[in-house]
Amino acid sequence: MTTVSEKLLTRAEETGTPGRAGPPGSAVPLLSLRGVRIADGSDGREIVHGVSFDLTPGKVVGIVGESGSGKTLTCRAALGILPPHFEVTGGSVEIEGTDISTLSPARWTALRGATISAVFQDPASYLNPSLRIGRQIAEVVRVKKGLGRREARQRVLALLRAVHLQEAELVHDQYPFELSGGMLQRVLVAAAIAADPRILIADEATTALDVTVQAEILDLLADLRDRAGLALVVVSHDLAVVAQLCDEVLVMRQGEVVEQGPTRRVLDHPRHDYTRMLIRGHESYGLEKFLGQPKEES
Amino acid sequence: MTADRPDDDTGTVTGAGARPVLDVTGLEVHYGRRRRRRRALHGVSLTVAPGETVGLIGETGSGKSTLARTVLGLVRPSAGSVVVDGEDVTAHGARQWRDLRRRGVVQYVFQDPLRSLDPDLTVEASLTEPLLVRGATRPEAAARVRAFLPRVRLPEDLLGRLPGELSGGQRQRIAVARALVTEPRLVLLDEPVSALDSANRVQVLEILKELRESGVALVFISHDLGSVAGIADRIAVLYRGELVEVGAARDVVGRPEHPYTRLLVGSAPTLRGTSADRGERAALRALLPA
Amino acid sequence: MLRRVLSLTSGRIAVAILAAVALLAVLGPLLAPQDPLATSDNALAAVSGSHWLGTDYLGRDVLSRLLDGSRVSVLGALEVALTALVVGAVPGILSVYLGRVFEWVTLRLADTLVALPFLLFAVAVIALLGNGLTQAMLVTGVLVSPLFYRVSRAATLTVARSQYVEAALISGASVGRVVRRHVWSKVLPPVSVAFAQTIGTGFVIVSSLTFLGIGVQPPEPTWGGLLASDLGYLSHRPWAPLVPALLIMITVWAGNLLADAIRDVSGEAGRALLKGRGARTGRPGRSEPAPAGGA
Repeated sequence: MTTVSEKLLTRAEETGTPGRAGPPGSAVPLLSLRGVRIADGSDGREIVHGVSFDLTPGKVVGIVGESGSGKTLTCRAALGILPPHFEVTGGSVEIEGTDISTLSPARWTALRGATISAVFQDPASYLNPSLRIGRQIAEVVRVKKGLGRREARQRVLALLRAVHLQEAELVHDQYPFELSGGMLQRVLVAAAIAADPRILIADEATTALDVTVQAEILDLLADLRDRAGLALVVVSHDLAVVAQLCDEVLVMRQGEVVEQGPTRRVLDHPRHDYTRMLIRGHESYGLEKFLGQPKEES
Repeated sequence: MTADRPDDDTGTVTGAGARPVLDVTGLEVHYGRRRRRRRALHGVSLTVAPGETVGLIGETGSGKSTLARTVLGLVRPSAGSVVVDGEDVTAHGARQWRDLRRRGVVQYVFQDPLRSLDPDLTVEASLTEPLLVRGATRPEAAARVRAFLPRVRLPEDLLGRLPGELSGGQRQRIAVARALVTEPRLVLLDEPVSALDSANRVQVLEILKELRESGVALVFISHDLGSVAGIADRIAVLYRGELVEVGAARDVVGRPEHPYTRLLVGSAPTLRGTSADRGERAALRALLPA
Repeated sequence: MLRRVLSLTSGRIAVAILAAVALLAVLGPLLAPQDPLATSDNALAAVSGSHWLGTDYLGRDVLSRLLDGSRVSVLGALEVALTALVVGAVPGILSVYLGRVFEWVTLRLADTLVALPFLLFAVAVIALLGNGLTQAMLVTGVLVSPLFYRVSRAATLTVARSQYVEAALISGASVGRVVRRHVWSKVLPPVSVAFAQTIGTGFVIVSSLTFLGIGVQPPEPTWGGLLASDLGYLSHRPWAPLVPALLIMITVWAGNLLADAIRDVSGEAGRALLKGRGARTGRPGRSEPAPAGGA
């Protein structure tokens, strides 16, 4: 099968044939969490009390929650990068049908980047400030794909164009401090998809960005999903960000999934008080007050 | 540079005749000297009526913080005038500013309460400070702080704690209390809720809405239209140091005129998606000066 | 602050040693079993019941001289540290607030003082002002004061640009109030570290000067002087220099240990350290240490 970036780079113009073929759930899930529980090993406190979802190609799952709700820990568990002391104490995480608890460190290394990848908040802290952008992405390409120097350069340029960075050549030779936050986040997305992963986890990837830039990054993620069938996990504290992109939403609070279901159902018919509170926050203080269906007077 | 809209008809806006609590006219601010001189604000005019809530929206580098700092006397304008509660402060020196500040007319709430509260001072010490500065005695200040706490929904037993021992929401409510305990006429709030999670965000906004009843004017400074649209009477949009649109919140959000405002509204995520699709946004972006 | 320092073992040891030395300085001359200046025929005697540490080349009781000499050493070290503190820290804090001219002048002065070799300068000043330890220590204090200037200035700069100081200024607080209320508590820990360290350095300097015979009239006993005279009679009493040398070393070490302890317990990190020791469960964070939303 063709890979994510090949599809991207060939710029399949037939937009009608995205990788979202078939109803979600029909194929073997790329990523499958079954009742995942995470505890702080040092004092035995359980912090995440059972998270389950399936991610198939082209599907987008959103996790909404406050800081401390366990959403980031859940992502980290799926990536096998839980902080020290923390461990998965129940349930299972499967990537392409393989239980990750059985993976050797070497297999993990092979899997990360090539199958599952991630972008986080604060892009600047994930880049080496003293290396040019191109070199940092090329490193991924050369290690993961075994490309030579010249091929790597070509690929990096193609990747930078794929994340809609104009003047890819210029950016290639720039240092992180010369780029804006939005451009840096694009660079990180480029690095994350450099080794053709099938799953991309975006953990608060747009939180630190201006609204107009956030919209562009969300567009980019939607693009990757549509054109290459990339499966996404979008994590945010903002229900609206998640609502925009996701097929399925998990609402987490204090380590518990208080509500889970198709996005439209959750937004239109929230069942849990917490979800209702989130929606009310938007409707009484957000743009929703003036946009969409007319509310109150006028 | 669009002036106030003629169809500015929402009830709460600018009580005509009432002396504005803030009147900024033709403000120019420059940073740096000689060759490195850069313009931060250009021809900014804005009035805020007593008791009014204004959302000042601008993204990174738009000059919104500069505008706030100029109004607070932390930055000196190179042209134009700033009138605070009837007093022209444009040419005020350090002493005049201090006198004005001691009267507690203008206050400020920072974005990050963890950094804006002294980590070594108890909550009580931080809250009484603005009162003590104005010459209140210690018992007076303590009594007023205690009387004010319920209005930000904080229990009294927090007073002995240090900021590091509190939650983010509690800290921001303390920062709000510190600004409002002096009963100012105008409070500028710099991204007051963007560091908070949804539950605390709603709570802080509700608290501010209640505090508004006392007649204080609030200026919310934010990069995110969505976070203040629901509480602001009027919205002013700053783009590259210029005020491109000012109007009633309903109009600015519902019928934005300037391309940048349209882009801003069209980009904001809502529960129903963004109001402009990417094609429309690209078209708007093309309309903006490079 | 003291209570926090004492909660660390190293802090307790340092304070105990320094307190003992200070006690020696106060009571030493009274405790001395014999007249420290009284010579006898019994020169270079070994340890005995009447002379616990033996006698020196003039037959004077070494223990008595050591105890009597502690006052000079301690007072000298304190004088260096206090002079440096006043001369350095005050302009260091003020340099942030008193405008560009004051800032420029004090910065250049600090640079100049750093460039002067203080031992040499102290000797030169004594030649000018007369042979007295007080003069020598005053000069030395001034010469090490750039340490305090730098430390207090750096700490003040960080605080002066902080948001809580800005918030206080916006409320109309005067600079004096800001310094008292906000700056002082942040500048105190690093200055205390420098002070404790300088006390250690002060002992070394006093001992060096008195070793060279600068600042004291010959019969008067000092730790450095004892060391110097003992070194002259190594063949007779090879272990003799050990006692004054050890005293100097332990005191200096205690000063540095105290400096480390103050540094460890001060500020936000110190609070965390002490809290962590109180409830050593090894919990990395209250709920979720990962870089989740907000921040």
